[in-house]
Amino acid sequence: MRRGLLVGVLGGALLLGGVAGCGIPENSEVRVDGPGPAAEGGSTSGSRGVPPTRTSSGSREEFVQNFLSAAAGEPGKAYERVRNFIDPAYRGRLQEKQNSEIALTVVRLTEAPVIIPGPETTSVTLNVQHVGQLRADGVLAPPEISTPKYQFELRSPAGQEGKPDAGLFVAEPPNVLLLSVEALDAYYQSRTVYFWNADRTRLVPDQRYLPLAVPDERRVSEVVRWLTDGPSAWLDNAVSGLPGNTRLINNATRTDGRWEVNLEMPDDKVQLEQLGAQLAWSLTDLDGQLELKIRNQSRTVIPDLEAHRAARPIHQITQSPQRFCVYEGTVHPLEYAGEPVGPVPVVAKANKDVVSAGFSRAGEEILAALVVTGPGRRQHLSVGTGVDPVTIFTRSPGRGYGAMSRPVWLRSADARQPVGLVVADGNLYRFDARAQLAPVALGVPAPVTAVAASLDGHRLAVIAGGSLYVVALSPDGGGVTPGPARRLATSLTNLSAVDWYGENSLILAGSVGRPAVYEMSVDGARETRLDENIGARVTHLAAYPASPPVAPLGVAMFEANGVSYRSSPVERIQREQVQGVDTPPDGVRAGNPTAPFFLY
Amino acid sequence: MATSPIPDLPTAVPRRRGAAWELWRGLSGRSARLLACLHQTWRRSLQVRVVTITLVASSLLVGGFAYLIADKITNILLENAETDVRVRLDSGAAYAAKQFGLFNQPQEAQLQETIDGTVNYLAGGDPQQTTGVVVALTADNHAGTIQSRTSPAVDVRPLISRELRGTVAGGEVASQIRTGRLGGERTKYLVYGSPVPTRFGQVELYYLVPLTRQDTTAADARATVVATGAALVLLLGLLAALVTRLVVTPVRVAARTAQRLSAGLLDQRMVVNGEDDLALLAASFNQMATNLQRQILRLEEMSRLQRRFTSDVSHELRTPLTTVRMAADLIFAERDEFEPAVARSAELLQAELDRFEELLTDLLEISRFDAGFAALDAEPTDLVPVVHRVADRLAGLAERAGVTIDLDVPTAPVIAEVDPRRVERVLRNLVGNAVEHGEAKPVVITLGMDETAVAITVRDHGVGLKPGEEKLVFNRFWRADPSRARQTGGTGLGLSISLEDARLHGGWLEAWGAPGQGAQFRLTLPARAGDRLTTSPLRLVPADAALPFGGPRAGGLLAIGPGTDGALAIGPGTDGALAVGPAGSGGRAEVGS
Repeated sequence: MRRGLLVGVLGGALLLGGVAGCGIPENSEVRVDGPGPAAEGGSTSGSRGVPPTRTSSGSREEFVQNFLSAAAGEPGKAYERVRNFIDPAYRGRLQEKQNSEIALTVVRLTEAPVIIPGPETTSVTLNVQHVGQLRADGVLAPPEISTPKYQFELRSPAGQEGKPDAGLFVAEPPNVLLLSVEALDAYYQSRTVYFWNADRTRLVPDQRYLPLAVPDERRVSEVVRWLTDGPSAWLDNAVSGLPGNTRLINNATRTDGRWEVNLEMPDDKVQLEQLGAQLAWSLTDLDGQLELKIRNQSRTVIPDLEAHRAARPIHQITQSPQRFCVYEGTVHPLEYAGEPVGPVPVVAKANKDVVSAGFSRAGEEILAALVVTGPGRRQHLSVGTGVDPVTIFTRSPGRGYGAMSRPVWLRSADARQPVGLVVADGNLYRFDARAQLAPVALGVPAPVTAVAASLDGHRLAVIAGGSLYVVALSPDGGGVTPGPARRLATSLTNLSAVDWYGENSLILAGSVGRPAVYEMSVDGARETRLDENIGARVTHLAAYPASPPVAPLGVAMFEANGVSYRSSPVERIQREQVQGVDTPPDGVRAGNPTAPFFLY
Repeated sequence: MATSPIPDLPTAVPRRRGAAWELWRGLSGRSARLLACLHQTWRRSLQVRVVTITLVASSLLVGGFAYLIADKITNILLENAETDVRVRLDSGAAYAAKQFGLFNQPQEAQLQETIDGTVNYLAGGDPQQTTGVVVALTADNHAGTIQSRTSPAVDVRPLISRELRGTVAGGEVASQIRTGRLGGERTKYLVYGSPVPTRFGQVELYYLVPLTRQDTTAADARATVVATGAALVLLLGLLAALVTRLVVTPVRVAARTAQRLSAGLLDQRMVVNGEDDLALLAASFNQMATNLQRQILRLEEMSRLQRRFTSDVSHELRTPLTTVRMAADLIFAERDEFEPAVARSAELLQAELDRFEELLTDLLEISRFDAGFAALDAEPTDLVPVVHRVADRLAGLAERAGVTIDLDVPTAPVIAEVDPRRVERVLRNLVGNAVEHGEAKPVVITLGMDETAVAITVRDHGVGLKPGEEKLVFNRFWRADPSRARQTGGTGLGLSISLEDARLHGGWLEAWGAPGQGAQFRLTLPARAGDRLTTSPLRLVPADAALPFGGPRAGGLLAIGPGTDGALAIGPGTDGALAVGPAGSGGRAEVGS
């Protein structure tokens, strides 16, 4: 009996102890749930856009060329790639910088590298023009150094002299990561991202470079990061970035053709909408769906980027451009087959003694500015606005100027208070609809000779003292306030005329020993020769900028030595193309059309 | 314990040992006493037994249920946590796979950045905000190129066991519970790992979710279950105690009432409450008690009537007997003048009248005893003259029977507080019987005394008593052989009266006899009236009697005691008695038979 009792008591105590002990265990066995997710098949972008390695060059010239492209690619590994070209004994000379500070020194070779072979080493001299600093965020910033010349040596690896497979090493290397403009062209993709202007009415392009080595899948992330990091320094005063604390959470990803961008930003509907437009235009090579998330909460879905772009054009260009020229003091239309022709949108009374003219469409209205010759052959500005044809003109007060450039209208300005720019006697002036001229201080050291305004109306290209400058404008009230001018490095010297040839390109007239017309990117890195056979200095240049998708290519017209030409192909503008003039009687020498320009 | 490390204190060891031994003895003695006490309580109290058994049984039952419930709760909590974490892990792994799917090679510049960002994002984005969940990402296959990341930044390696690592690196989703310290206090973590497939191979994602909340909830639930269980068990015990008390109390009352009834308080009854089983018990008990009482009263009345009848008859017979006696005396006195035959009849008449008278006297004496009228008239008396007087008085009878009466009487007076008349009557009766059944062999009367008692034995060597007759001889009108007519003047009441006399003194009257060995009667009386007797100064079985089971030797004495040379000796004694104790001398340690 007693034993039974004892057993019972022990059992009870054991059970209560068991209850106390049956909690969550301290440690357990590994429990296998099953196989993990399988890898998704997907296209790989391969290893394109990777610059050649040290040993892949056949000649010294090629080696130098490869050395100048070695830094191309993702900035994080740039030092590593360049280091591979450098003799191990000299690698310490290349001082590394941190990730965000890595900048490639983009140079344009002014002449072929001077390679002088020696008994042991080969000496290389590079004569360069500094184009800029390519920073990790794809911005080609103004150059920080101006060394016109780099020198280094080439030598074979120790103990392997004479072996053709051993390749070469760079000794005494420059303490910068050099990148030639050719390599920039070859291994980078030029991309345009858009920022809203200060009053958020218009998108302003900003040019960036994306290494081709970056896989396609990461391009969206890169673009979004550029947008969140803010605009290039020179545009700072003209545009507004995203809200300060906006940042991309990890990478943008694609699921079933839909891109998801997860952001950390204030949840504001207007800002999101604007960001959507920014993204749609900054990712022009993307169509399909884009989903914007804020902290992983879906906020906006753009169902079709293509349609989104179409519904929100950047530039309000509704018609194809019309060509005009000045013929015998009067503005006349120029006629070319397949191009629209219309009457001059100015009444005949005002259309006389014209030297040059600038017309612009602003909605239904026409903005017209005419440089006319007044008494004493001094030039005045005559400005009129209104529906076609413009009847009322105001002449600028004062006694006039000795010489005035072709006036340009800023397309960004408030339609009720149009603003134009004109260069008169070496100074830049702005004018309004009542032809009131006010000087604009640019802060350039030399007299201004030409001015051109971009399609977005927030960027100016200015020639001062034969050099090219770009300036960002921030419209304040009725006026314009220019930011700091940025000088661009060009191959052309002695510049005479400039106009915008695209969103991020300029058309430029100058001299490369002989007069030439070049197309150039807005940062000066890319130059394309358009014409070098003009034979005379270009005094007047007007272009209709390419703005995809409306106008895929830019067109230009210029005047040199009193003769007008048109581009693509370059040919002389004949008197026959000038409309509304009578054929002069025989014997009378017909005049030439001058100062051609576009109305758009 | 046995040896001390300090050799220069030799006395300390035994002293300490002694103290320890004392302590141990004290403790063991106390526990033994306690155990004995508990055992006694267990045996005596039905309530204790019922309550204990209820407690034990309900503890087992409730404990079992509590274990099941607590286990179930813990399992549910764990399963929920596992499901939650699994969902998070799956979505996290899918997210990470999407993020890392943008990279083709582990060397790509932004991969590490993406890993950092992904881990931070999966951990809740803000490294400052600690939910306790730790997300870790390792790449065992790319140990050189990809660094493991943890958010928040803590060292999770001790918590991710090698087995789990191996399993997850092998492409399986697996989990494990581990306990460890991640910065703060020791916590249980559910470690869940999943492989994340990428284009450049596989990385592993781990979620370490603290189980603090689950643990606390489980502990709370367990505490509640245990507390409820304990309360339930106590309640059941209390209930059992109450119910048992309900049953036991009437039973105890019944027991007490029965005790009182048996003590003679025949009018004791139980209280009947209600109509339940206990009430039935009480009613039945009362019924039984009433019946018993009635029966006892009836029997008492009958006995009283019988005694009264005897007494009355004796009294009523005495008057005619007196008349008859007077006439018979007259006739007997004139018998010489009658014819011999008539004279013989007169003698017979006279003798039978003597017996008749004697019988009546004895009957009256017995009636007095039965009626409780007998009173002891005790006084300090020297018994030696009493013995001598009885022997003298019966000398004539002995002579007629050819029997010698031997006396073994001390020379010194044997004083006891007795009623000399009754003692003399007892002795006369015993000696008369011995002479009568002595078959012409000597009768021995022995007188002995000690501090508390006196004893007289009467030994004869006649036919003796058969086994079992030692008690019967004291019955009224008993005879050994019913067919044998009563020859001598005995009335058949002598030994009964003697027994009553001995009882009246608070003494014993005992008989011993064996066929062919004669008989011995022993009268033992307290030296002071009213004292309780414990032993008798004289032996009931005579020393010359043969042992009934053959014994060591007929007439021998089994002595256990110190032998001649100091050894313990067991063997026949010297004076024929079975003695256990120091043999020989006057010591009286004896084993009676």
